[in-house]
Amino acid sequence: MPPKNNKGGVNAKGSSAKQEDLTKTQTVYERAQAVYDLTRPPYDKEREELGGLHNLSTVEKTAYANWFCTAPEEYSYLPKKAQKELWKQVNESNRPLRRGQIDKPRPDQWGRDKNGRNIGDYTVQQYEQRIETQAQLTCVKALGRSFASKRLFASKGLVDSSTGEKYTLTEEDIKAEKERRKEMAALTRALYGVKMGPYSSDPEWDDVVPIPQMEPEGALAAIAYPEDYDEAMSYLRAVMAAKEYSPRCLKLTEHVISMNPAHYTVWLYRFANIQHLDMPLLDELEWLNEVALDYLKNYQIWHHRQLLLDHYYPTIADTPDEVKRFARSERAFVMQMFAEDAKNYHVWSYRQYLTRKLGMWENEAHGELDSLEGMIDDDVRNNSAWSHRFFLVFSNPRYATPDSHATEPDPQVPADIIDREVAYAQAKIALAPQNQSPWNYLRGVLVKGGRKLGSVQVFVEQYVDNLGDAEKEQVRSSHALEHLADIYEEAGDKEKADLCWKRLGEKWDRIRLGYWEWKRRSMKAASS
Amino acid sequence: MELQKARHVQYFQRCYTTVLPSIYTSMDSNRLLLGYFTLAGLDLLSSASSASPSANEASAPPTPQSLIPASDRLQLRDWPDTVKRGWDEAVSYPAASDTENASLPGTYFALLTLGLLANDDASSVATAFRGVDRIGTLQWIKRLQRPDGSFGEVVNADGSISGGRDMRYCYMAATIRWALRGNEAGKDLDIDVDGMVRHIRKSQAYDGGFAESHMGESQAGYAYCAVAALSMLDLTEADADKPSHYLDAGIPNTSAMVRWLVSRQIVYTGSDESDSEEEGGEGEENNTPAEPTSEMASLSVTGPVLGGFNGRPNKVADTCYAWWVAGALQVLSKALPEAASLDRASGRAFLLQETQNTYGGFGKDAGSPPDLFHSYLGLAALAAMAGDATEEGLGQFDVRLCLGKEAAARVNRARQYWALGPENDTTHT
Repeated sequence: MPPKNNKGGVNAKGSSAKQEDLTKTQTVYERAQAVYDLTRPPYDKEREELGGLHNLSTVEKTAYANWFCTAPEEYSYLPKKAQKELWKQVNESNRPLRRGQIDKPRPDQWGRDKNGRNIGDYTVQQYEQRIETQAQLTCVKALGRSFASKRLFASKGLVDSSTGEKYTLTEEDIKAEKERRKEMAALTRALYGVKMGPYSSDPEWDDVVPIPQMEPEGALAAIAYPEDYDEAMSYLRAVMAAKEYSPRCLKLTEHVISMNPAHYTVWLYRFANIQHLDMPLLDELEWLNEVALDYLKNYQIWHHRQLLLDHYYPTIADTPDEVKRFARSERAFVMQMFAEDAKNYHVWSYRQYLTRKLGMWENEAHGELDSLEGMIDDDVRNNSAWSHRFFLVFSNPRYATPDSHATEPDPQVPADIIDREVAYAQAKIALAPQNQSPWNYLRGVLVKGGRKLGSVQVFVEQYVDNLGDAEKEQVRSSHALEHLADIYEEAGDKEKADLCWKRLGEKWDRIRLGYWEWKRRSMKAASS
Repeated sequence: MELQKARHVQYFQRCYTTVLPSIYTSMDSNRLLLGYFTLAGLDLLSSASSASPSANEASAPPTPQSLIPASDRLQLRDWPDTVKRGWDEAVSYPAASDTENASLPGTYFALLTLGLLANDDASSVATAFRGVDRIGTLQWIKRLQRPDGSFGEVVNADGSISGGRDMRYCYMAATIRWALRGNEAGKDLDIDVDGMVRHIRKSQAYDGGFAESHMGESQAGYAYCAVAALSMLDLTEADADKPSHYLDAGIPNTSAMVRWLVSRQIVYTGSDESDSEEEGGEGEENNTPAEPTSEMASLSVTGPVLGGFNGRPNKVADTCYAWWVAGALQVLSKALPEAASLDRASGRAFLLQETQNTYGGFGKDAGSPPDLFHSYLGLAALAAMAGDATEEGLGQFDVRLCLGKEAAARVNRARQYWALGPENDTTHT
């Protein structure tokens, strides 16, 4: 048995590693190194530093070797006398005899923290704090697991044998779990820098295994998505693959749409959810109004709206008053969109769709024409409004030939309507003669009415004075001059038509010189 | 100002090698488009015909090294496939990648990417389209067509079709039909070509331009898609006697269309009225250009001007409309020999001085940062405006496919795969 005073050589003089060294250490690595030194065989450090046992003195060598023999399983084999001699030598060497199962510490064995800092360089206090936080996370996770099992038991209707009652999940349980998830997210982030997104930290989504975007590193056209988008999309993929339709999926689509309204798949999936859940379509329209105003340039919103209307309209189609009321509210919304961008192509397309779907043709009943005139009064150069007017006037099923092309005459359109439209275009040209929208409209109306361009010659001529007269030539609209050329050509007056084109290229519309010259060449080629 | 070719090369290489910034998130469902424009841009800038003539005029310019590294090409062939599916590792099964998610634009860009990546030799005939399910794709395209002849974007699980009645889809469907030789696959697999032509025909607007569909407002992007779609039909069923059969059949009034197209060029008088807008990728803008009087005066200015292009009457100039207008006119010239040309000098000046970015690429308008969409179409516009000549540094351009001539030839060669034998019609995986 070892003598009683051989517990650790605390009082040993000249030992290379002292207990006090531990309190002097600054970092985790230094402390581990000190602990290691305290548990090494005597002179082991010296042996290592000097490059081998042979470099130690005889005394040192003996002390080193004796240390190995002091292990209980070793000295018990020694005869009593040898044991006595061993302990005597050990005592004389004045070296500590601590031994522990400690490997030589490596500076990087603790790994790195979220900021890439070597944890071995942490101060002891910092390290202890980290351990504390990890323990906290473990506790929170354990509570979370017990919540998960309770939820599982409750869903299966199991009975708690300790109370004899069925497992139930209360609102409080869920609230507490949500709080825990927040704590979990904060702890995970603090420790590992990993952000737990809103879905992975929401117990409502526990049963969904997200499908992340799996792509090889460095894939072409990879996008640096915002963090939340990436997570939400991975949950969206999962519920879409599982063909789940539920209120939470509807909420998920709303979230994805708020981050990327141009994603067509999410809209189609949202609509499928609305159908499966039998959602009130008017609520969805209401929601869509907000979204549309937030994302003015988006097309998918309008496609979605049309789908909704296709399903909603049959429920009101038999009640004309209801249709009228609905038409009014839709137009009010469309006008709200135009207040932001009066030339938005998608919205004008939708307005056409509305007009057809709800039969908003007649001004007396629906006021479409009045509404359009208001828009043209606001901006006479709004080509979209002009185009919609053309559609409204020349697609009206009361008189127009069904599916009549925009570029062909329609004998079914009454002459007074043609007259009205010619007069309207001319009145607007008078306001801004260089505005091409009403000039194009005028041409379109004349074609529809099967009338010659020359039928408006007097009107057009007022914008062109003394053509060809170097001194007095005055042109107030290049469009008028072009129109005049076409009138002359139509009447067979090639010389005058040629002069118009020549002057357009030379002076009044220089940027299209190539085109005007081509017109001149084409006419000459046709007549030769 | 000249084309800053080296800068544009750097721009497309940046897009090729790095992750695109988060502003592209709105294009997430169109990543095939982004990748395609990246590759097409690199290809155009390093095509054989793009090499500048050497100082010693006697010797031919050296054939440039392609900017798409040869070592990447094979891997890039897998890229269209990986983009389209999420992969569920747990069950080793592609998740959410059923037919509902196949889209017409995605299919179009994927096929052209495969053709674009082919090698410049005869071996590409046997490789470029290997693995493409030709029959399945043709059947699917057929299902995308509506009774009125128009095409949607997506076929839903219940067989219904989603997407607008949009002229772009006609162009894409016609191009896919050409690439897959749909016309040779038999009536049961081919789309209703006459229906498509009817739909396009109905979409010419009263002012001569083309709209999204019947009675809509004309817009230059739709004008290009309409004429290019018809031209792709002509290319597919080439008739030596009447090379513009479908172009003639699909456009009720060609001269009105030319008139409308050339009217899109406007004298650009400054960027003071343009306010910065959200990147929409669709080239929409809402500000009103200069007042009538100043516009009238600007048309009479002598000397060099900046000639921008708008997409609709009374809208402001935008880089991409230079392409849609110039491209449409070039395609039309196949039906209309010696058609009117645009004012190339002022058109070039607008793009090179106003929307060409100092660090490469093109923005939507003056002062806008460059993006892939406008950068590629800016180059395309310069190439198309050059007509039979070439824009120095860009080489020759195929306006129907919106690709460099050499790349278009590669896609065309790849099509021969379908003529090699019926065994190519089975799905190779």
